[in-house]
Amino acid sequence: MPPTIERPQRWDVAFDSEMTDAAVGRLLAIAPFSAMDEAKFSKRTPLREILRNDTSIRLYRKGEIIVRQGDYGTSAFLILSGATRVVLKPDLPLSLLGRQAPGKKGIFRTLAQLWSSNRPPESFRRAQLGHGEGLGARRNENEEVHVFLQDLPRVLGQHRTEQMIAGDFFGEIAALSRMPRTSTIFADTDEVELIEIRWQGLRDLMRYDPALQQHINRIYRERAMASFLRATPMFRHLTKEQLAQVAEQVEFATYGDYDWSGEYKRLAKAGSVTPEKEPVIVQQGDYPNGVVLVRAGFARVSQKFGTGERTLNYIGAGHVFGFDEIAHNWREPSASVSFQFTLRAIGYTHVIVVPTHVMEKIVLPSLPPKDLPALIAPRDVEIAAPAPTELARDLVGAETLEFLTENRFFNGTASMVIDLDRCTRCDDCVRACASTHDNNPRFLRHGPSIGRLMIANSCMHCADPVCMIGCPTGAIHRESFAGQVVINPVTCIGCKACANNCPYDSIRMVDVRDENGDFMMGEDLKPIAKATKCDLCVENHGGPACQNACPHGALERMNLNNLTALADWMKR
Amino acid sequence: MTRFRRQLFVGWFLFLLASAGAIALHLRYHLALPKYAYLTGWAFFGVMLLLTLYNARKKLPFLPLGKSENWLQIHIYGGFFTVVLFLIHLNFRLPTGWFEGTLAWLYLLVTGSGVVGLMLTRILPRRLSTRGGEVIYERIPVLRHALRCEAESLAFSSDSTAKSPALAEFYLRELAMFFSGPRHFWPHLLESRRPLNALLSEMDDLRRYLNESERATLEKLRQLVRQKDGLDYHRALQSSLKLWLFVHLPLTYSLMMFTLLHIVIVFAFAGGAR
Repeated sequence: MPPTIERPQRWDVAFDSEMTDAAVGRLLAIAPFSAMDEAKFSKRTPLREILRNDTSIRLYRKGEIIVRQGDYGTSAFLILSGATRVVLKPDLPLSLLGRQAPGKKGIFRTLAQLWSSNRPPESFRRAQLGHGEGLGARRNENEEVHVFLQDLPRVLGQHRTEQMIAGDFFGEIAALSRMPRTSTIFADTDEVELIEIRWQGLRDLMRYDPALQQHINRIYRERAMASFLRATPMFRHLTKEQLAQVAEQVEFATYGDYDWSGEYKRLAKAGSVTPEKEPVIVQQGDYPNGVVLVRAGFARVSQKFGTGERTLNYIGAGHVFGFDEIAHNWREPSASVSFQFTLRAIGYTHVIVVPTHVMEKIVLPSLPPKDLPALIAPRDVEIAAPAPTELARDLVGAETLEFLTENRFFNGTASMVIDLDRCTRCDDCVRACASTHDNNPRFLRHGPSIGRLMIANSCMHCADPVCMIGCPTGAIHRESFAGQVVINPVTCIGCKACANNCPYDSIRMVDVRDENGDFMMGEDLKPIAKATKCDLCVENHGGPACQNACPHGALERMNLNNLTALADWMKR
Repeated sequence: MTRFRRQLFVGWFLFLLASAGAIALHLRYHLALPKYAYLTGWAFFGVMLLLTLYNARKKLPFLPLGKSENWLQIHIYGGFFTVVLFLIHLNFRLPTGWFEGTLAWLYLLVTGSGVVGLMLTRILPRRLSTRGGEVIYERIPVLRHALRCEAESLAFSSDSTAKSPALAEFYLRELAMFFSGPRHFWPHLLESRRPLNALLSEMDDLRRYLNESERATLEKLRQLVRQKDGLDYHRALQSSLKLWLFVHLPLTYSLMMFTLLHIVIVFAFAGGAR
């Protein structure tokens, strides 16, 4: 019998274990919860339990940063008392967001590595690790670290800001669509009380409270939908009015679990990661009721095969599913087809669904015939016409595709792929990494493998960087939008949040040393730890040292969401 | 054309072109130019210097000096080209005298070890990935120790139904040595399964003397033997992939030292050179 574990249940772990009945009672007396009809909530997810398990009451003091622009977050906030301020223009400088300025090493710093390579690993000058300029940090009574802006009048003088008051929501779009936060918000009064609602709770509140749903839908459509639809090729022939009509009628939904990395780790350990356990977005054989646009996360395209399902492809942000079927039915209503494949959320998937009637009335008539897909050939049992999704299997082979999907490697935009047929295990890549990074190699030349392909244990710079959720100081961040994920050692406080979040165990905590090689100690006499990981040599000229150091062309940093590139590389 | 085929084609094309050019120049000028041996010597030394710079490139990965892969290609085909330069410098005759002979032998050993290394790096990785069970070289002793402990605890665990210590005796006689350290380097390198098969065959013979419970233990031991054999295989091949450099590099440094001495001697006694 295979090893089994108890399947995790909703509310096994409350968002805040210290939410009391009194606190819940107090929330129920405050708008908008006071206006919600408890009877409309399902018995399995009553309003009271949502508030108890999916919310937390947070206190901030004046100047403390609540959310940072560019951070990933899975929760929204409602101001209960006090006021917050959102930074509009210009954005706060990177130093005030706890990040390091992007840029390459200068010629002298590059050359200095010639003689500094004898230093102890991960050593810093003590002065280097002071607080970031203009920032301070303090712990509250719950031992949470809050970072605050030291010179608030200066920030207010140099940046256009807007005040938000009790009753205002913020962070809901980032929470629901897993997109980076668009603005920085900080506390504007001496005591700001907020309720933080994790995304599952927000989803359920929206489901059972039409007013909240309407409110968030409106914000979502206004702020996020129009720009997304404009960037989707399918809608490029629409007029502004038509696009607005489409935006008005599309639906959006999130499947799976934002906190997939924790559950994935548990299931992977138990060896029970299977497609059948993933939430279904679209079922093969169902009536095509809309085209699915993946906005964030990943989904598995599969097909019934024997008693199970075989993976045909995985798709990520920007991909479209179900377009072929709906276009076919529009042109051949007498020979309509159902969905040809099943679409399942892997981890979590945020999708936008364009209903069939919107497609038929607005979108399809606007497309020139050359942009319409070929008609789906009639079929008996097996697929007659090759579908585009089948190409993925042809490209890399069924086993490799399953391997990449089951291990969630498609998430990596710069995964370290090693061709074991060429790799001589010389470790030149490891030495190059160590020489470039304070004598501490930032990866392990080992990892899951299939055939001659190994995905080494190195940061993959994920499309969905779960490591970036929950960093209290903003130390882990993207170098640019969709760029490399890097850690600023100056603002990293060694809390391990990123290392614990990473589903691939690619972040390691190291005790840092001073210039004499002695371990640095905090005031509590415990060693100072910092999170370290591959930064893809962002500061180095010439790209990743590991890849450049491989004498046999056996190592490549690769976007595993691009299977064509992988296939080309394997056939090189 | 795939990338590696293109690499091969370009490498051989440039090598053959350079070699043909060098031989043509040699035929045209070897009698015409004064101090011709100096010219070919410096050219030979220059290319050798370029080849040794590859090691420096490896030591400076943080400098933007280009991909190591391209350097290796230059190193390989440049190395082949030195054979042509070597023959031209010797004027296609055998070296004479002990110093010249030593120098020539050193050159041949460096080149030979390089060619052997190139072959190893092209053949062994494929064999390792085909065998599977990828393991980090430095972890092998730890894993071997764990296997040994597991095997010992199996072999020496008291079995109340056993009528004789046959399994423990067999372990001491046949397996203790096998688990104690790396074994069968050469058979593994030569892809021979003979030692493993012999051991497994002995274990099969032992089965008839054991009861059911002991047979189950023996089966577990068989699995451990296979795992240990896999570790030995990886160790043998990965060692070979590392060790050839321990021949190639010291010989290279010796060759460069002798070459420098050769240059000094040539200039010190320059009267005879043409």
